[in-house]
Amino acid sequence: MTSPRERILASIRGGLLRSHLPADGNGPPGRDAGSAAPALREMAEQFSAALAALAGHVHRASGAAGVADVIAGIARDQQAATCISWDDEHLGCPGLLDALSSRGLTRVAYAVSGDPERRLAEAAALAGVGLGVTGAHAALADTGGIVLVSGPGRGRLVSVLPPVHVAVVEERRLRPSLAALLREEPGLLDSGSNVVIVAGPSRTADIEMTLTHGVHGPKHVHVILTA
Amino acid sequence: MTEPALAFHRRIDAALADARLRRALALTTGRLAGGRAAAFDALADAEACRHEARRARASAIASLDSHLDRFAREATARGCTVHWAETAADARQIISGIARERGIRLAVKSKSMATEEVELNEALEHAGVRVVETDLGEFVVQLGGDRPSHIITPIIHRSRQDVAALFQEKLGAAPADVADIPAMTALARRVLRAEFLQAGMGISGVNLAVAETGSICIVTNEGNGRLTTTLPRVHVALLGLERIVPTAADLAAVLTVLARSATGQASPVYTNVMTGPRRPGAAPGGQQAGDPDGPDELHIVILDNGRSRLLGTPLAEILYCVRCGACLNVCPVYRLIGGHAYGGVYPGPVGSVVMPGLHGAEDWSELAHASSLCGACRDVCPVKIDLPHLLLAVRRDAAARRLAPVWIRAAMPIYAAVATRPWLYRLAGRAAARLARALQHEGWIRRLPGPLAAWTASRDFPAPASRPFVAEHHARKAAAR
Repeated sequence: MTSPRERILASIRGGLLRSHLPADGNGPPGRDAGSAAPALREMAEQFSAALAALAGHVHRASGAAGVADVIAGIARDQQAATCISWDDEHLGCPGLLDALSSRGLTRVAYAVSGDPERRLAEAAALAGVGLGVTGAHAALADTGGIVLVSGPGRGRLVSVLPPVHVAVVEERRLRPSLAALLREEPGLLDSGSNVVIVAGPSRTADIEMTLTHGVHGPKHVHVILTA
Repeated sequence: MTEPALAFHRRIDAALADARLRRALALTTGRLAGGRAAAFDALADAEACRHEARRARASAIASLDSHLDRFAREATARGCTVHWAETAADARQIISGIARERGIRLAVKSKSMATEEVELNEALEHAGVRVVETDLGEFVVQLGGDRPSHIITPIIHRSRQDVAALFQEKLGAAPADVADIPAMTALARRVLRAEFLQAGMGISGVNLAVAETGSICIVTNEGNGRLTTTLPRVHVALLGLERIVPTAADLAAVLTVLARSATGQASPVYTNVMTGPRRPGAAPGGQQAGDPDGPDELHIVILDNGRSRLLGTPLAEILYCVRCGACLNVCPVYRLIGGHAYGGVYPGPVGSVVMPGLHGAEDWSELAHASSLCGACRDVCPVKIDLPHLLLAVRRDAAARRLAPVWIRAAMPIYAAVATRPWLYRLAGRAAARLARALQHEGWIRRLPGPLAAWTASRDFPAPASRPFVAEHHARKAAAR
């Protein structure tokens, strides 16, 4: 008795033997290895324009105090008293969490349990959190996207559950495009259980093609570029 | 005509008679097609990008057996549980089983055409699992007991007033909650957020799967795909077995054209790549911290349901498709009749190939006749599938199966005999022209005789020129000499 796996693979092999697939489009990758990356300043401008076009906000700041001031301002505008965040060492801005807490923004620590009952309670406790603060592995100049890699101290929910997401991104992490990033780091997708590219706030146009932000994910996305 | 073909024609008539649907279709398809065109115009090397995406898909399909097996092995090595479903019934049984074994009562779903294809929701409800669609459009579809009419924007057949009435009836919404579209969106967010926080299982499709790392990629704009695959303890992903790309670079190549083709966006808001379930801490007993969130179990159900068989047919190229919906938006037939008229899960040019290919020529080949073969679909396809060629292949197959009406089967050999003999063709042409001139009035024929009357039922037929083209052509050639 063969397994479903064996039967499906055998059926595919049988299909390929009789295949009528067109011969074109089956060569080696045709793209060049990528031209030299543009200057950081140029990529920063391109990134900012792309994100602004998606209704995202770009700020510039430096140092833990400067970045914390920007975040505290956003929290005030959005009336957010609490936040969830990545651990300090992953924010690319040492001392930021302390600076935030001294500005009155309380960090809610979380780790969702594997136990079904406890898990539901833990997730429910995060429902009222107003702000999520992350770093980023990379930022993509062509689309205004930021690349977040999950891992210890780098939760996925931080960038999707609260109504406001603030990402602190060092300028040196800018790359021209996703293709360029993956050329540079071919193993990136395997570096965490989740690699997500976030390009602006959550949006939908399902009802009468009318663009509306914040349907499931954050309604406001702020990127703070640091030198 | 066969019964499925007659039913198709009845649905077309109903769609054409629906003035509101036609306005909504014109608005939506026009905007999506325009957005797509602008997004590609903005690319410096649009043709090269399409070529590269096609190459990525073609190389995957050409060795699909080894890429799929590699994918399954890599995903398993990273902690996924991989299941193989030969049929829709197998997929339903596998996923219901996963839910039942874990005592799951509530599942949240992110938009997936494959789960529509296998009719998963009904099976899960039967197994005692409440299933909540979380894509805004699909949520409205589910509340209304309706079906999606477009593979990207499922409720183009619904107005804001329809949605408001539905929310008031089904959710008990207050008038203020349905005052405008942002208010209705906010209401849906509140209602669905509560479901997300309670659900024991998240169910998604897969846009693309990467063989070399066993990763699955889901793109969404709303973020429901991320919540579905992060909050519940168990994530089940249903993967159509053709949605493989060999490498991360191939994934990037397809992503470059996918959202541009679907909605005119340079990138979706969320490009969500998952490689295994959440990773535990390094030391036993959780001494060293692992991932703070994410699903503890990731099940990937690989779905065949006719795809591997399709690979051995002249329709195989349709397996390159990444379901962007661009071909719907430019199709002059889809733009008039919309998705419901096609009757299946996949409408438009792609559906007219996929439905007969996966679900049988007997029931579905008539769809391929609802095309003028204008080629607009081929011109916008991000992986350059030759859709008109495939539509002809469906028609050829239907003819070989003798599925066409008897008068067409009788008439076509006669036409072929005439059209392949120049002397006979000229003779027939002259006879037809003489007859047409006898019927014409001021250059137009109001009513053609016999079965041709159907053509003139809603429009006039232009009377032929007094001199046939061939004669004119010869005369000009002689004059030029």
